[in-house]
Amino acid sequence: MSERNDPKTLHRRTFLRTAGAVAGTVALGFPAVLRAQAPTVKIGVIHGVTGPLAEPGQACRLGAQMAAEAINAAGGIKSLGGAKLELLLGDTQSKPDVARTEAERLINAGAQLLQGPFSSGDAAAMVPVVQQRRVPFLIDIAAADPITANVAKAVREGQQKVQYVYRNFPTGTMFGQLAVRYFNAIFEEAGVSPKRVVLMYANDLFGQSQSRGFQAAHKAAKPGWDIVEVIPWPEPPSDLSTEVSRAKAARPDIIAPITRPASAQLLLPELAKQRVDIMGVVGPGSPGLYEAGQIAVLKEHLEYVMDSVPWPNFKNPRTRAVADEYAKRSGGKTFDTNSGYSYDGMLVIADALERAKSTDPDVVVDAIKKTRFTGHLMVSAGPVVFNEIGDNPNASTALIQILGQKPVVVWPKEAAQQKAVFPRPKR
Amino acid sequence: MDAALIGQGLLSGLLFGGVYSLMAVGLTLIFGVMRVVNFAHGDMMVWGMYLAWMLATRLGVDPYAGFVLCAGGLFVVGFVVQRTLVDRIVDAPHEMQILLMLGVALVLENAALVAFGPDPQRVRSALTASTLWLGPIFVDVGRLVTFGLAVLLTGALYLFLARTPLGRSVRAAADNPYGALVIGTDVRRVYAVAFGIGAACVGAAGALVSPILPFQPAGGLSLSVASFNIVIIGGMGSLLGAFVGGLLVSVAESMGAVFLAPSMKELVSFSLLIAILLFRPAGLFGKGSA
Repeated sequence: MSERNDPKTLHRRTFLRTAGAVAGTVALGFPAVLRAQAPTVKIGVIHGVTGPLAEPGQACRLGAQMAAEAINAAGGIKSLGGAKLELLLGDTQSKPDVARTEAERLINAGAQLLQGPFSSGDAAAMVPVVQQRRVPFLIDIAAADPITANVAKAVREGQQKVQYVYRNFPTGTMFGQLAVRYFNAIFEEAGVSPKRVVLMYANDLFGQSQSRGFQAAHKAAKPGWDIVEVIPWPEPPSDLSTEVSRAKAARPDIIAPITRPASAQLLLPELAKQRVDIMGVVGPGSPGLYEAGQIAVLKEHLEYVMDSVPWPNFKNPRTRAVADEYAKRSGGKTFDTNSGYSYDGMLVIADALERAKSTDPDVVVDAIKKTRFTGHLMVSAGPVVFNEIGDNPNASTALIQILGQKPVVVWPKEAAQQKAVFPRPKR
Repeated sequence: MDAALIGQGLLSGLLFGGVYSLMAVGLTLIFGVMRVVNFAHGDMMVWGMYLAWMLATRLGVDPYAGFVLCAGGLFVVGFVVQRTLVDRIVDAPHEMQILLMLGVALVLENAALVAFGPDPQRVRSALTASTLWLGPIFVDVGRLVTFGLAVLLTGALYLFLARTPLGRSVRAAADNPYGALVIGTDVRRVYAVAFGIGAACVGAAGALVSPILPFQPAGGLSLSVASFNIVIIGGMGSLLGAFVGGLLVSVAESMGAVFLAPSMKELVSFSLLIAILLFRPAGLFGKGSA
């Protein structure tokens, strides 16, 4: 006890006071210096860089940072006197409540636009904040349809005046339609006619939206195959062996999974272990099936797995250059869906600011609505535009397959790097 | 409903339950002795998984052998955490204990994030790829071995507590710390040893489950909650309760996945928890009423 009263001992409170003062000086002092140097536009970039979805969240953050650096290096926003993009970074911890408070925090810190996040649940929680605080928000990944559709509906019905939420990523519905089309194309190309598809999905907002989109597209297209069983699991799952037994009991020809990275690591080895006899695993739009880290862990279990995902257009030399730099800065990771769309997101924001010539939220929103951006790096059906719901109807996916432990585009034909191996060889 | 599917669900649930049991046994030991709920339990398990992963990837040690080292490593972690942190709040109100343990959990989780990155990992072992077939029902050899080891370790822990002098001191300190002190037991040391053993149990559980379950730094909280749930169902502080509770919860979840939408399987285990709290608040094997 006497030690605690010794004046020479560094007390916890003294330490905290000193540390707080130092931190305060740093936080208050430096931005003032920066402000004097050049005009900046502050963009809040919010992704889940910790928590269960930290891997894609960190990829998104790095993609956005690299794009902002490239824009700043090229002279910033010229119509705003060469204003540089200053990123304020936020972390949702992959939790919707934290996503909401992070949006509040960055707006209070002066963010004039927001970009992010990966998870649909997080995005949905941020929407009310940006609508209330009138901050334009570009969603770079989160795919669940209702996120933009609900706001568009509220504006249409006059409950809200302006829509501040836009998304440059395919929605769950679009994923579903493209997946059904790709399924048919691949079956036809291989000259086989699988009949029984089992849909398995992570039961979170994203998984639900993806599975609904896929089932709706299937119902509308009436193809020659049926979805014979639908198996959701709680995400993150603790065990999927019973789920796989149940899928097996449905005698599937195709397993169509909508996973997250951790659930993919449970599902694929379990399918092999229980010897589920199928023609192939084809994801209708699923993370966890193509990332470099996943391939390193899952190895042969990912071989021949197909997935319909947004993918960088590697026929574009700029994409290849960015991908090389990305690999260097991420410790060897592939420039893929998440890093790519976050990179594109920042480019779209810069384009809108350039045309808006202002940071007034309503002027920026008008510029976003008139977007017709062709400098994107991802595979798409046309320039980046936004429809009446605030989504980009030209955002698209490619069907990729893991062949020789590398993701390879196998469909659509014009983007295909290789022919699909389907049905997969028997083991 | 397919009979083979039900049989498969029962078997898979039972075998996986061994892991649940082992992690709950560690938690219940710590609670039983110190009346401190270790909310960093799941994060300690995640560290056990990463230790097994490092042993497997760097030194080529199979996790089914490496679990001994992981248990040893976590024993040291538990011992040090008890001596330096928990020892200060053994007599503090529960809310303070919970805050401290949640703090330890945060530090462990984020240290793992810094050290290993966010990607989910999985340890490869020859055993986990092999399966036995009993007609239409398959037995995952990895799970079978994990189950067997979990039963052995729980048995060994029981014998340690019942038969050895140190084990008797642990029980004495748990039953009546003041009385134990009076007859010359070094209660502080016994507490640290008990915390260390609890951590070692969960370290072993982590290593044994690392070839079966993918893990990432953020996985700790859900494991802590699962352990806590099991311990309440089995009876706080009861070793047998934790063991049986682990099997029960795992089988219940597996049956939930067979009969309900699998996304609702956790509903079954938490309903079980509510039922226990309503009708047998001390848990299945708990002593006295709460």
